[in-house]
Amino acid sequence: MSTLNAARDLPPVAPSGREGGGRRDRSQLGAWWLYALLILGIILLVGPFIWMVLGSFKTTGELRSVPPTWWPENPTLANYQDLFERQNFVRFFINSSVVALFVTAGNVIFCSMLGYALAKLNFPGKKILFAVVLATLMVPGVVTFMPLFLLVANLGLVNTHAGMILPFLAGAFGVFLMRQFIGGIPDELLDAARVDGAGEHYIFWRIVMPLCGPALATLTILTFLGSWNGFLWPLVVATSEEMFTLPVAIAFMATGQTETNVALLMAGSVVVIMPVIVVFILLQRHFTQGIAMTGIK
Amino acid sequence: MRTRQRLGAVLLTLGMVAVLAACGRGDDDNGDDNGDGTAASQAPEVDTGSASGEIDVWAMGAEGEALGAFAESFMDEFPDVTVNVTPVPWDAAHDRIVNAMAGGEVPDVSMVGTTWMGEFATLGGLDPTPANIDGAQFFEGAWGTTVVDGTSYAVPWYVETRLLYYRTDIGEGAEAPATWDDLKALAASMQEAGAEYGISLQPGGTGAWQTYMPFFWQAGGEIMGEDGSFTLDGEPCVEALTYYDSFFEEGLTPAAAEDVPVEGRFANGEIASFISGPWMMSIVEDAGTDPEAYTVAHQPTEEAGTSFVGGSNLAVLADSDNKDAAWAFIEYLSRPDVQAAWYEEVSALPAVQAAWDEGVLSSDERLSEFGSQLEDAKAPPSIASWEQVAAEIDSVIEQVTVGDMAPEEGCTVMQEAATGIGTGQ
Amino acid sequence: MGGGSSPSTAGRSRWRETLTAWSFALPFLLLFLVFMAGPILIAMVTSFTDLRVTDIRNPFAIEFIGLDNYLAVLGDPRFQKAAANTAVFVFVGVPLTMALGLAAAVGLNQGIVKFRTFFRVGFYLPVVTSIVAIAVVWRLLLGTEVGLINSTLSIFGIDGPGWISDERYALWSMIAMAAWRGLGFLMVIFLAGLQTIPRDLYEAAEVDGASAWQRFKGITIPLLRPTLLFGAVMTGIGYVQFFEEAYVMTEGGPLNSTLSMVLYAYRQFGFGNYGYTAATAFVLFVAVATLTIVQFRLFRDETR
Repeated sequence: MSTLNAARDLPPVAPSGREGGGRRDRSQLGAWWLYALLILGIILLVGPFIWMVLGSFKTTGELRSVPPTWWPENPTLANYQDLFERQNFVRFFINSSVVALFVTAGNVIFCSMLGYALAKLNFPGKKILFAVVLATLMVPGVVTFMPLFLLVANLGLVNTHAGMILPFLAGAFGVFLMRQFIGGIPDELLDAARVDGAGEHYIFWRIVMPLCGPALATLTILTFLGSWNGFLWPLVVATSEEMFTLPVAIAFMATGQTETNVALLMAGSVVVIMPVIVVFILLQRHFTQGIAMTGIK
Repeated sequence: MRTRQRLGAVLLTLGMVAVLAACGRGDDDNGDDNGDGTAASQAPEVDTGSASGEIDVWAMGAEGEALGAFAESFMDEFPDVTVNVTPVPWDAAHDRIVNAMAGGEVPDVSMVGTTWMGEFATLGGLDPTPANIDGAQFFEGAWGTTVVDGTSYAVPWYVETRLLYYRTDIGEGAEAPATWDDLKALAASMQEAGAEYGISLQPGGTGAWQTYMPFFWQAGGEIMGEDGSFTLDGEPCVEALTYYDSFFEEGLTPAAAEDVPVEGRFANGEIASFISGPWMMSIVEDAGTDPEAYTVAHQPTEEAGTSFVGGSNLAVLADSDNKDAAWAFIEYLSRPDVQAAWYEEVSALPAVQAAWDEGVLSSDERLSEFGSQLEDAKAPPSIASWEQVAAEIDSVIEQVTVGDMAPEEGCTVMQEAATGIGTGQ
Repeated sequence: MGGGSSPSTAGRSRWRETLTAWSFALPFLLLFLVFMAGPILIAMVTSFTDLRVTDIRNPFAIEFIGLDNYLAVLGDPRFQKAAANTAVFVFVGVPLTMALGLAAAVGLNQGIVKFRTFFRVGFYLPVVTSIVAIAVVWRLLLGTEVGLINSTLSIFGIDGPGWISDERYALWSMIAMAAWRGLGFLMVIFLAGLQTIPRDLYEAAEVDGASAWQRFKGITIPLLRPTLLFGAVMTGIGYVQFFEEAYVMTEGGPLNSTLSMVLYAYRQFGFGNYGYTAATAFVLFVAVATLTIVQFRLFRDETR
């Protein structure tokens, strides 16, 4: 760990290619090989998605045909029409969005607040609190889902949006992330504001939060993603179809009566996956930056 | 600070000890003396004539939608009672009822799936059936599904049973198989005459027990004995499981669920026969099967020709505060003429035997096959752990038919697994 | 805190600071206690009882049965099968995903500056998508008669096996799918780690005559240790809990060959065996913790 930290202070790596003619030839040959392998990798990784999208415009019959076709013979929007008109996908989309929105907003606000308190304020029990919260990061979801279900049932929240949102509002990861990041904000900044008479809440909302851009972006993206793609808890809590989120809906479609309508399943998968992919491609820099940031720490 | 911590620890320990002491099952007070298997005990008669007040009714699926009209007719006859029907989606129903029972906020009447009876009654959530409703008017197998630990806790509403569907136009026109050998011969001859598979039997997976159990019953087997222990192994099991497996061994049935549903393959003659319930009639016809080209027949007979009976029951919840009116409504829905009208409305086969004596139920050939099969149809015992036991049976069926487990071993495994799980009462 | 203050003011401001701090912490803590800490404790307690769904009206009418649940779980052949499946999934899946991720990261790091973003996005795509949707698509790809893979193979006259309907292949197909999905995440992390290794170390080693493989083994791996550890731990924790793939593609079959520990626990929950479910969950927790500790040992930083 220390070596890498030291290494981080060195100037950024500059691409080589200026020394020695012989070496350059060898590295250029290597580069072709590399490109080829990497392109093969990309094809294997992205291929299924393309096939999925193309398949969503085909009919089940065409998808079953041997030999298989790549481009749709008669592209049709029938699958999407079916999804949104008869299969209730508008409802599922709304459910997923509502839950993901509230969970993300809640995490951003509450985790930052606690992160600030842990990083910049002093109070008894601070260390224990942080340790306890961190410890729960290790606890797998399968431990809590049963008692959570009993709890939610007793609160009358089974099959409600609140039941899907509340258990995830307090995410330990967010606390960890924000505490680490806010810890890096110089104390002088905050002390100056305190001397001017600013209250802690003012400092938090007007000074600290605006500085937390990168961390908040990472937290938002990761939390939104986790919630949108979440499966086990919505599966347990949503006991009737009108409350399903997209992953639950597509799982039921794939294992239930429509499991043989392959084209419909393709279209459904596209609806589940595409919003995330679009957001990801637009914001990919923040994604990978954030992942790398947590990784190095 | 240290003394405060110590005090806190002592209080915590005392608290935990108190909680531990308060827990425990104590004496089992929901047991019933009536373990001799004769007529189920019922609650004393209730005065349904003077029913009044309001009742809430939960019903699932298509039934939920259609029940409203019947509630209207009931209210015409019982003007002092108001009935509120709430349709509940099937997939949510089980959990919703359990949660309601847990919280005490229950409807007065609810539709209950037959396999949920054991769980709900053991929970203490259902009111025992009063003696004014006579169990003998229902098909025996259906009435049996309402009996938990010797007491009846519900009333059968509608039923279904499983028959053999087969193509009559493959080969030289087959006859209804009367025995096990006949069924095997039928499948073999259909396959020779051009069908890809003579029959389609479920090779394990959820619900396979419903196709296997009838053979077990036909061989003379019973799932549970008089003393409440499981009797899943023994001669009848080995016989039935070997017979069931033989279809797979001889290639007469597909060994894995295919991507294409059975009705499509039945329609185009790939599969010549299968076993299922009354709803498949419209499904296979919608898939393109010519109504003249197929028929349904009784299960074959070994020692008996028993089939599986399922369906739904109606129950009054223990926490209901208007049980008299609730039972009055249920009594109304059990009248033969109302049951027959209910069939007209939603195509759900009546549970009351007298309802079959008139109308299309007695005149239609295929429907009356279902009717007569219902006279010899059984259901699994209404125990709280049945779902789990059934899953074990499904698993054994898979291992015997698709895997290489021998039927004898399969029977032993079934019995051991079931005994290990217990009845959950 | 600057500025002189008398002891009483200091005491008062400390009290105020504590209050303020708690005002920040309260929303999170309330939710945390009710929806995380509480359930963990309840799970722990109920794992020692015979709580079932039929006790739901009288939750205190349950018996404490000590370790009976745990013994029953560990002794259940079906659980043992689930544990074995999960073990295979982890011990084959983690190294496989790490090797692929590392290879991709090294490849991208070797001076492929152009299109690096394109490759990074492409490789990372499967990571951000819902496992459930991926499982659905892969189930269609791997289908026996009409799946894309087998139909393509049949063009070449090859009769593809039942990738997920044959109990010999199902688990391996799932592992391959998991590696396909997970390698992008590791690639990004490893890439970031690789870029912190100073170039001159490699050049010095090359001057000394070290081969590419020796440079990799002697410089890259040791310096990447912490990152490798992080990757292994994250991937391992995820793989121990694999659930969606089994639920959607095979329902744990055929013949329990893809039954995972989480799927097993979920089934028990469905049967209403709540105490038993809690015990299963804690066994899994112990497995996760053990795996993590073992990995920390394995990747112990021996450099100074």
